[in-house]
Amino acid sequence: MKIRFLRKSFLLFGVFLCFGMAVAQEVSGTVSDASGPLPGASVVVKGTTNGAQTDFDGLFTLSNVESNAILLISYIGYQPLEVSLDGRTNIDIVLTEDAQALDEVVVTGYGSQTRKEITSAVTVVSNEDFNQGTVNDASQLLQGKVAGLSIYNKGGNPNKDAVIRLRGISSVGANSSPLIVIDGVVGASLNNVDPNDIESINVLKDGSAAAIYGTRGSSGVILVTTKKGTPGGVSVDYSGSLALSTIANHVDVMTADEFVASGGVDLGSRNDWLDLVTIDGSTKVNNVSISGGDGNTRYRFSGNFRDAQGILRESGFKQFNTRGSISTLTFNDKLKIDFNISFTNRKSEFSYEEALRYALLYNPTAPVFGKDSPFQFDSPTFGGYFETLGLFDSFNPLSIVNQNTNTGDKNEFTYSANFNYDILDNWEVNALISQQTNKLTNQDYYRTTSHFRGNATSPNRKGRARLYTENRDFKLFELYSTYNQSIGLIDFSLTGGYSWQQQNQYNYFLEMGDFPNNDIEYINALEWSQDLANAGFINASSDASPDDRIIAFFGRINATYDNAIFLNASLRREGSTKFGENNRWANFPAVGLGADLNHYLELNNVDLLKVRVGYGVTGALPASNGLSRALYTPADGKLSSNQSTDANPDLKWEEKAETNFGVEFKMDRLSSTIDIYSRDVSDFILERDVDVTIYPTGRRVENAGKLRSSGFEIALNYDILRNEKLKYNAGIIVSRNKTILKEYLTPQEMRGSLGAPGQNDTDMIRIKEGEEIGQIWGPVFSGEVVDGSQQFVDINNDGQLLTNQNNALDPDGDFKVLGKGTPDFELGWTNQLQFGNWDVNAFFRGAFGHSLINTYRAFYEPRVGSQGSYNFVNTELANPEITNAKFSSLYVEKADFFKLDNLSLGYTFNLKENNYIKGIRVTASGQNLFTITNYTGSDPEPALQDAGTIDNGGFPGTSYDPLIPGIDRRNNYFSSRTYTLGLNINF
Amino acid sequence: MKNIYKALFLCGGLLFWSCTDLEEDLIGAIDRPVSIDEPSTAFDGGGNGGNDALSVAYSKLRDGSASSGGYWAIQSVSSDEVAVTQKGGDWYDGGIWIDMHRHTFGPSNGPINDTWTSQYGAIAACNDLLQTSLDANQKAQIKVLRAFFYYRLLDTYGRVKLVTTPGQDAPQSSRAQVFAFVESELLSALGVSSVSASMDLTNSPLTTDVNPYRVNQYAALGILAKLYLNAEVYTGTPRYTEAANAASYVIDNSGYVLCGVGCSVPNPGKRPAVDSDPETLEGYAAVFAPNNQNNPEIIWSIAYDGVTGGGMNFAHMTLHYSSQFTWNLVSQPWNGYSALEDFYNSYDDNDARKKANFIVGPQFDYNGSAILDYAATDGQLELNYTPDIDELEPNASRKGGARLGKFSFRLFGRDDQDNDMPIVRLGDLYLIRAEGRARAANNWSLAEADVNTIRARAGLAPLAGLNADNFLEERGREMFMETTRRQDLIRFGKFNDPWWEKTNSDPHKKLFPIPQPQIDASNGTLTQNPGY
Repeated sequence: MKIRFLRKSFLLFGVFLCFGMAVAQEVSGTVSDASGPLPGASVVVKGTTNGAQTDFDGLFTLSNVESNAILLISYIGYQPLEVSLDGRTNIDIVLTEDAQALDEVVVTGYGSQTRKEITSAVTVVSNEDFNQGTVNDASQLLQGKVAGLSIYNKGGNPNKDAVIRLRGISSVGANSSPLIVIDGVVGASLNNVDPNDIESINVLKDGSAAAIYGTRGSSGVILVTTKKGTPGGVSVDYSGSLALSTIANHVDVMTADEFVASGGVDLGSRNDWLDLVTIDGSTKVNNVSISGGDGNTRYRFSGNFRDAQGILRESGFKQFNTRGSISTLTFNDKLKIDFNISFTNRKSEFSYEEALRYALLYNPTAPVFGKDSPFQFDSPTFGGYFETLGLFDSFNPLSIVNQNTNTGDKNEFTYSANFNYDILDNWEVNALISQQTNKLTNQDYYRTTSHFRGNATSPNRKGRARLYTENRDFKLFELYSTYNQSIGLIDFSLTGGYSWQQQNQYNYFLEMGDFPNNDIEYINALEWSQDLANAGFINASSDASPDDRIIAFFGRINATYDNAIFLNASLRREGSTKFGENNRWANFPAVGLGADLNHYLELNNVDLLKVRVGYGVTGALPASNGLSRALYTPADGKLSSNQSTDANPDLKWEEKAETNFGVEFKMDRLSSTIDIYSRDVSDFILERDVDVTIYPTGRRVENAGKLRSSGFEIALNYDILRNEKLKYNAGIIVSRNKTILKEYLTPQEMRGSLGAPGQNDTDMIRIKEGEEIGQIWGPVFSGEVVDGSQQFVDINNDGQLLTNQNNALDPDGDFKVLGKGTPDFELGWTNQLQFGNWDVNAFFRGAFGHSLINTYRAFYEPRVGSQGSYNFVNTELANPEITNAKFSSLYVEKADFFKLDNLSLGYTFNLKENNYIKGIRVTASGQNLFTITNYTGSDPEPALQDAGTIDNGGFPGTSYDPLIPGIDRRNNYFSSRTYTLGLNINF
Repeated sequence: MKNIYKALFLCGGLLFWSCTDLEEDLIGAIDRPVSIDEPSTAFDGGGNGGNDALSVAYSKLRDGSASSGGYWAIQSVSSDEVAVTQKGGDWYDGGIWIDMHRHTFGPSNGPINDTWTSQYGAIAACNDLLQTSLDANQKAQIKVLRAFFYYRLLDTYGRVKLVTTPGQDAPQSSRAQVFAFVESELLSALGVSSVSASMDLTNSPLTTDVNPYRVNQYAALGILAKLYLNAEVYTGTPRYTEAANAASYVIDNSGYVLCGVGCSVPNPGKRPAVDSDPETLEGYAAVFAPNNQNNPEIIWSIAYDGVTGGGMNFAHMTLHYSSQFTWNLVSQPWNGYSALEDFYNSYDDNDARKKANFIVGPQFDYNGSAILDYAATDGQLELNYTPDIDELEPNASRKGGARLGKFSFRLFGRDDQDNDMPIVRLGDLYLIRAEGRARAANNWSLAEADVNTIRARAGLAPLAGLNADNFLEERGREMFMETTRRQDLIRFGKFNDPWWEKTNSDPHKKLFPIPQPQIDASNGTLTQNPGY
């Protein structure tokens, strides 16, 4: 190989220069641990770039080693070793496991600390603990693995990002997703890192850890470290997988015959619409990486290819991602330069989640095609498909997915360069520059023959095209310096720095219709729209953000006394363009104190007994710009403006103050961490009604309200078996969170309307000061049905029933709390079993105490006579006597669940030593294999936020309300079950 | 080392140099008012109407005045004209419409709040405009416009805040104080201290120019006539003579005429293959047609337009889903609102207004074919509107109830209609004069002449033996859908009476409650109306 040859010559040259007189020889040997050979361990001759990696049998060979050289042997998770050759040419080395892992270096904000020194709640998940199987979204790697971190992709649409919440709701009106930091790049995009390229993920859970990130740290911080090259030869890795997804569950509806027997309108055909619009989706993933390096330079390049198919017809994506990293030491090993670059292109077919909804509720006796209609029907108008004209919110689901297209194309590009210079041995300066660009184009086109959004029924304006383009640009510059010093028993380190970040965004949107009535797709030929010849139909808008900047100065001190008492304190002063001119800057302090009690108690067999307490203040930024300003929108006719909001020059940061108390304990086979926290989120950024007498628009963005959440998290890990042949490790995490709304805009209010048909103004969630958030509030079904109507309970026993939802807050109303949208407890249970070459990984996950409003049932389970052309939902809870729809306790269900989230089986082959392949591993895994729950909907996972209701072909909302969890809307994807076969080869 | 210090110095310099700039330069949002001075491109004269600096305030008239869920809806559904039935799973909507119909509404009712916010939003636009440099005429117009919004608040909620300066709070006034304010504003715009049959309006800054989208002297008098007609309800003191005088002044002195025989416009809803569709709309029907912008009866109206002045949605609110094809509307209607059967039946079959105001019977499309409801559950596919409605809730028939056709529809109509909504029209003023004279003298025969003028235009024989009851019926037939029914029923003492699917209601329901969200936002400066 050329590279090797070059390096050898270089080495020889160097050896000649420096140690011309020394005797060079070949050295070989093995590296092993207590249970056997260690493949992939690094062996480097100290002071040189000469190194190698062990093969699958733990063997290594090094040439041109001086007889008196010292070998450095290292392997992740083991204590590194230095061995002097003393003339030996064959040497067997045994590494001891870094059992305590206490000296493990953990990446925290602007630097790293050993695990022991940390005084805040930080969880590290490394790649061997990641979720397995088909993982297309990096956040899914962590699902259920970190106590207090909730990750839910309800239904599991492959094109949707999961909702991530740390310790429950952390912000109202500002961004409530955790801050992502990838290789030091603050605010990076998780979509631009392939799950296969991730080495480990650290989660900073509490305020004292996150405060160094100031803003955006409120919802927690997720630090992603990508894989890097390791020195010693060139390593090529291939991994690939093939997966198949099927529908795991959906809400029960009637078959055509049951529907007719229950009084449904018989249109003559018999169809299973769900079967017609869903498929078994296959997903193919291929990853290749090349990595390697020598003593001073390391590199890794990877290419990742994903072709994912959803269970809904025409849904899925094709993604290409590449990532490169080079790291080098220069200037006498004083300057370390890290350069990372990554690019992702994703071409999505979103299809239409609505097709799943209509597949459930479309008349099962309706024919697919108009030619089979029992009545006179104008088939050509609808592309040959049958439509139940005259019924609100009813569309032929097969026509939706077959006639229309809904696609997206997204490019993300990121580079970062980090320069770290050691001014002195104990003083370093670090500078980071990063830039990201992000472009996306979404196109949807509705044919002139599509009843769904295509206006096929219109006599003169059919077809619709929508085009949205967005460009984002993100620049980051950070400069900080760290100084370390020891004075007696005190070791301390000082960090100070500056951060500058700017985001720019622009977008435009076009919507027009009235296209020639033929088969051609006009999305890329908009000039054919007849709307261009008629006033008032074209919908066009454009927007650009101002230079949206965040600027900060920060400082931190980390001090250790006697290697047992730890103090961390930081202060960040941060400003943002998004706030009112009087309040752009704010201070975010944090302090943490910890003690390793075992250092003094010296308990038997106990490795660590650490207690720690931390307090920190973080801020949260709203998503929009211009919130503190008076803004104007064009009036009808575009000849004048309407003021839309009033200015608020005092608009300021939403703040979160958090106190965290933790205990870490480790002995022999058991390790555990317990965290207890309490936090106050205050000054929510909300547009609210203000007195119209003072503010002409009656609307203004203000700071108001206060949340208090508290909870605990327990993580336990136990090595149940650790024989040479059989190892079994189990880990359990449990978390609890309770969030109380202490203050709000109004003493109480109702939100979260059920929606059309017929259930507008049916708000179902009560928001009340002094109560937990997410209270489902409604009348209680007595169990009795009279003339088709549910009878409700007279809750206050005043002899009068007041149960119309628009009187929900009336003091005389007969309403009560029917459930709670957020879970009380969340549980993750990991099992890792290893015997010989086999390994088994079983991961169970559960959430308990939450309820969901099953909206499918609330709308379609009543046997409504006057609209008997929707299919009837028919769960085990159905009461066929009910013939009209009213929201009540009947449709609120407990949604506790316990599921086998992931089961995987792996086999690692023993290979004879050869020149080509170093290792082969095969895996088989299943995701979402079974769920134990009483919930009758598709997916019992909590609905943590609400996007509102849509109907009749309307477009789904893009803003989410975090204060009204618990509504399982009709526009959710159905949950799927995935089986994956994987292969990993190391060359 | 020296170089290192240089580097550090540079870095330090960087910190304090560019890097604390946090000015927010908005480039995608507009942070100041905008107004363009050019003619409107509206189809039928609607839109911004007489587009000028005042449009920003006049355009606020459109909010909720002809749509579902605001001022029009709460006025109409709480009366005996119009109902929104619950059709199984459709149109229950948390019971807001059933509560409105049965007078069981409370302070949390959404449409009651929306009505409040749209009136105050309009008042804020007027107040803002009054801070700018307006000439005397413009100022008087905006004051009348603001008085009109306060008249609506007076009528709907009674005790409200009289806010006249932007950014300045005002205490909650009594109903009598609000009445006095509205009266004085109108009188001062007319340049008189009181209304009489022989008053001299030469001191009024308002003109007598004909422009249905702007306030002239006659529009101000029309509002004043409505105010005085209801004064006894508002303050306990009757002002019927002044009501009659204000109305009479307009009838006698202006050039407006009732739109009768020969007053016609082409029918934009004429289906070529349906012979029963007239080629033209004449008389009463022409007053409310999509192309009614030049109607000689309309003194002041709200300028609606499908393109530039949205907000009239009667077609969607009332028509059955399949009825989209009756007029080939651009989008599917909602099947919500219909007329009460008793109200429909109060019209004589010969009454021209019956055909103009309602849509009943089998429906046909553009080509004259029967329209089918493929979701019909009774086996009757053909769409046929029946005047009778089986029940208010929970399983009312999807086809029950005569549909609201007064503001008639155009073929290929857009989501927003083009018809202008009259605020003051001569027909109404005839009936105000009739009622004012009769009530002032306590002699209903004094109303007969004006009532019979109105009846004659509808093609009906004169009515003899007029009394309060049959006057109210006649006024109802004439003013259907023009948001006067609720106040008429209150004035005639019938609002709390039982009618279809409604029992007696408490007298306090004659005022709507102050919306709860407004009380919450007011920091204790608003108190609830008695009884709620």
